[in-house]
Amino acid sequence: MSRIENHPILGEPKKGKTVSFTFDGKTMEGCEGEPIAVALKANGVSVHRYTQKNHSPRGIFCAIGRCTDCVMVVNGKPNIRTCVTPLESGMTIQTQDGVAPKEV
Amino acid sequence: MKRYELIVVGAGPSGLSAAIEAAKCGVEVIVFDENEKPGGQLFKQIHKFFGSKEHHAKVRGFKIGEELLREASDAGVEVVLNATVTGLYQNKEITVRIGDAIHHYKGDTIIIATGAAENMVTFPGWTLPGVIGAGAAQTLMNIHGIQPGKRVLMLGSGNVGLVVSFQLMQAGCEVVAVADAAPRIGGYGVHAAKVARTGVPFYLSHTITKAHGTDHVTGVTISEVDSSFKPIAGTEKYFDVDVICIAVGLSPMSQLFKMSGCNMEDNPKKGGQVPIIDSYGETSQKGVFAAGDVSGIEEASSAMIEGRMAGVCAAQYLGYCTEEEKENKLKDLEKDLDSLRQGMFAPSNRGKLIEKTDEGIDVSMSLLTKGFVSDDEIERFPGVTHKVGVHPVMECTQNIPCNPCQDACPKGCISIGENITNLPFVTDGSQCINCGMCVASCSGQAIFLVDEDCGDGYASITLPYEFLPLPKIGDVGSGLGRNGERVCEATVVNVKNLKAFDHTNLLTIKVPKEYAMKARFFRA
Repeated sequence: MSRIENHPILGEPKKGKTVSFTFDGKTMEGCEGEPIAVALKANGVSVHRYTQKNHSPRGIFCAIGRCTDCVMVVNGKPNIRTCVTPLESGMTIQTQDGVAPKEV
Repeated sequence: MKRYELIVVGAGPSGLSAAIEAAKCGVEVIVFDENEKPGGQLFKQIHKFFGSKEHHAKVRGFKIGEELLREASDAGVEVVLNATVTGLYQNKEITVRIGDAIHHYKGDTIIIATGAAENMVTFPGWTLPGVIGAGAAQTLMNIHGIQPGKRVLMLGSGNVGLVVSFQLMQAGCEVVAVADAAPRIGGYGVHAAKVARTGVPFYLSHTITKAHGTDHVTGVTISEVDSSFKPIAGTEKYFDVDVICIAVGLSPMSQLFKMSGCNMEDNPKKGGQVPIIDSYGETSQKGVFAAGDVSGIEEASSAMIEGRMAGVCAAQYLGYCTEEEKENKLKDLEKDLDSLRQGMFAPSNRGKLIEKTDEGIDVSMSLLTKGFVSDDEIERFPGVTHKVGVHPVMECTQNIPCNPCQDACPKGCISIGENITNLPFVTDGSQCINCGMCVASCSGQAIFLVDEDCGDGYASITLPYEFLPLPKIGDVGSGLGRNGERVCEATVVNVKNLKAFDHTNLLTIKVPKEYAMKARFFRA
């Protein structure tokens, strides 16, 4: 479990209510409103996409929406920056391969 | 096309400060920021800031952010979020992307406070998931409450690398090492010392030569580098890690100035491409100002002052205050800014090796290369003295602009003197009452309350402790030296946590008296 339960300075993190979403067809849970990337990280997912030419894996890099390394296919739309896109209940999230969803 | 008297780009410390100052003069201000929340990087800063009272010293960064948001809302500043300024054109026209639409606005004045972006270094494996920016680590743990990983190697020993290493440990991660290609630690010695005393080794003149793993980082190899920064074969060291954190400096995000045709310069001391500005932030285009890191990398405290300066100048440009009112306000702000730019780490000293303090004392070379002042060096600093009974020991050994300790002591035991960068010393004839305010107020966690001889063969040491789980009275563990190695057995005899300490717990440990000046951390 990588979520911080209690922090010496910040106390308990304030989080949204628990919601379900799917990642590559698997149902997972996360906190509403947190970045998609954080919900995935809490579920142990670190590879967000594979590059078009070399199929090399990419994940969170800057976490503030600048580098676009963490883009995925969200609700059918590719190139969504998961580190700055809030998680909503029922979202369909897919690993991106090039600019399409990766076949699972 | 809507027109505003002042458009501010960026709602970080500098942009908000600029907007507040201008709004207070009566200017109609709008602030655009691309993020979902205002405050820039301030809300990720959970450590206590340096400086003086005027600079919000000993207040944690996110608290300063909260104050700034309150001040902005009181001043009637309008902040538009999720709004990316994509262009700055001649005649102060801007384009802003909000949702799927591009909006076009014109400002009578413009203040650009877009801040900076993290630099990167490349090495085999650098694109693997698990290689992240130090800022990303801060965002994940301090904003979103999730650990970036379990075991981390930090590349970069500047203040960002040091502060984030400490914060990673506060978030419950293990930091296996701090590496830096430079031969000396770049950040404040006190930041390095509080990391080193927990047992984190420093590898100076080392860089990453490989990140291991196929789908995620599983390890890292670092190698020593020669004087031209080339890795030396045979010096490789391997660490099992799942995260590699990169903290190798920042570059100003100054593209908007370049686009609008402002005169630019490439200035390595400022971190790269920056607009050429006067002392209050005005660029070669009248009415277009730069404030904060975008005009040269410094820190949040100076960014806030620069923002206020630009805000005042914009107000005067628009006719909301007289030249005289402007000069008066600028005078105070300039004084504050000037005091932050003093000392060994002043922008003008960047890259220089300073071998003596202002007091003429030899700087600790162990601190610069290993992250801690060695036992045989510590006695030469003025904050380290010996007395009967409890007394403060201030292991503050570099001239940095910071003085909360002298205001913290209700008995006047501690003095910095007139110059804010002086090393603190214990005043003559003062009587320490063991209240701990100095320990909690030191942003560098460099003050200890020591009773060198309690009479029973033991000494007591009160130290700042900002980790969980918090040890309990009666716990027996190890007293660690400044280098993080066990020096003796230690028993916790007191744990104090007052509201005034602001989450810095004071742990009092008992150690055999010969370790009174050696033990500086407790491990359960």
